[in-house]
Amino acid sequence: MSTAKAMTSTYKYIMLLLGLLVFIGPLLWLLSTMLKTQDQTYVFPPKLLPNPLTFSSFSRLFETMSLMPRWIMNSFAVSIINGLGTILTSSLIAFGFARTRSRLRSVLFIIVLATLMIPSQVTLIPMYILFSKIGWYDTWLPLTIPVFLANPYFIFLFRQFFMTLPRELDEATYVDGGNYWTIYSKVILPLSGPIIISGFIFAFVFTWTDYFSPLIFIQSEKLQMMSVGLQLIMGKNSQDLPMMAAGSFLALVPIAVIYFTAQKYFVDGVVMSGIK
Amino acid sequence: MQVTNKWKEDRAFLLFIAPWIVGFLCFFVGPAMASLLYSFADYNAITKPIWIGIDNYTHLISDQVYLKSLRNTLYFVFIGVPVTVGFQIVLSLLLNVEIPGIRVFRTLYYLPYLVPPVATVIIWIILFGSGDSVVNSLIVLFGGSNVDWMGTEGLIKPVIISIGMWSSGGAVLIFLAGLKGIPRSLYEAARIDGSGPIRTFFNITLPMLTPTILFTVVMQVIYYFQMFTEAMLLSKGGPNYASQTYMMNTYQVSFRDLNFGYAMAQSWVLFLLILVITIVLLKSSQRWVYYEGSEKGGSNS
Repeated sequence: MSTAKAMTSTYKYIMLLLGLLVFIGPLLWLLSTMLKTQDQTYVFPPKLLPNPLTFSSFSRLFETMSLMPRWIMNSFAVSIINGLGTILTSSLIAFGFARTRSRLRSVLFIIVLATLMIPSQVTLIPMYILFSKIGWYDTWLPLTIPVFLANPYFIFLFRQFFMTLPRELDEATYVDGGNYWTIYSKVILPLSGPIIISGFIFAFVFTWTDYFSPLIFIQSEKLQMMSVGLQLIMGKNSQDLPMMAAGSFLALVPIAVIYFTAQKYFVDGVVMSGIK
Repeated sequence: MQVTNKWKEDRAFLLFIAPWIVGFLCFFVGPAMASLLYSFADYNAITKPIWIGIDNYTHLISDQVYLKSLRNTLYFVFIGVPVTVGFQIVLSLLLNVEIPGIRVFRTLYYLPYLVPPVATVIIWIILFGSGDSVVNSLIVLFGGSNVDWMGTEGLIKPVIISIGMWSSGGAVLIFLAGLKGIPRSLYEAARIDGSGPIRTFFNITLPMLTPTILFTVVMQVIYYFQMFTEAMLLSKGGPNYASQTYMMNTYQVSFRDLNFGYAMAQSWVLFLLILVITIVLLKSSQRWVYYEGSEKGGSNS
């Protein structure tokens, strides 16, 4: 009996390790490529461990792409702005949907959910035309303002969380003479630490990884984001695999750091959005 | 609270959601209306629009590149979605075991989901590139010969789908939560009845998972309908338009050809397609999604 159990558990580990090869293998290969010389990437059979190990890909990256540090800073700036903006507006909007007793709530919430289903691309071209006309084109405004004013995903996420907080809290504050603003700022927000962190992280990651919006709304290379910067590296020298790998690594590091330090909030946020 | 005036409630509500109302009108209703209007015009965003009626829409039927991009996108939706979701279910079953170290596995399996799409494309170029790329070298080591993954019409779409499968992490998390929600008593009852693992999977796990499956399928349908970055950067739509996706085609029609009116007509057709498929999915779900107890169940629509 116990040998059979040990067998199935060994079998499970083998399956899990095989899967791990598929999911982590490509990332390990990225690291390995980044530390190779260009010649080493064409060696057959390919070797996982670079020999000699070199960081020259990074110096080539910063030489050919002098704007690289700038793109990284830009991506950080816009991602942080979107993170903060999102938790501010989404918490307010979601509070309205979760805690007030207006008759309009359900109708408007259906509209919020409907916009969640509609691809942003339908409105993208007219937004491009609109932003060109009002002078927002080639600024960061199109990358930030629409994200935190009208992102249904975050409204949904915050509302889901607020619904789990007991209503008696509101009643108690109300009896003590507080209004909705007091309930929002003094009762709900202090209890919303986890969702605020999840919301910030998600908005940060979405903005950091977004390729489409900066591609369309930003023209000046100086204002560009890391994601489009990466594409420019690909265009510059697509034969230099170590340099492209080094660029990908830089784009990946901030996200990986956030993930490994705040993993719980990642998981809770994803699960919260998927389950009623 | 019961004595509160109804209008006062409405006013408070509207004040709280004011940012959304502004955003919804400026960045959604306005642009959507404009796009509907301009889809009936020849418009390049520089000179005045020329109204041409439904010409943009009728032109779609004879636009070979457009039709090819539509077929490619439908391939992604009807083949990519089932393959990806099936893969995600298998993965979540694999990760849904309680053995030491399983948390580390879950953490690492999730990681690819967070890799920025452009970086993923670069990884795929390193793995599947022409000549002595990693995958090709492995094939050669095992006695095969080099495959031109990006340059073969029949292979490029599966390669792109493999990217979607690699980034399964988010959906797997949702499936894992769904699996956790299945009452243990059901499994015990099945065990007592002498049901084997395969029958238990089809009679208990799969039906109990259907609400999660519906949610994931809708999400994947939207993902594959909007496929852009991967196709654009991995293979530039080639070879011979085999990976030209709908979104990519519309992007080129607008920003390369400056044919905005035509592009907006395409956007509206895409919207209608997504709408129809979503409605069909949700309607059909009443037949295949199992909701425990009350009708509210775990629906996510």
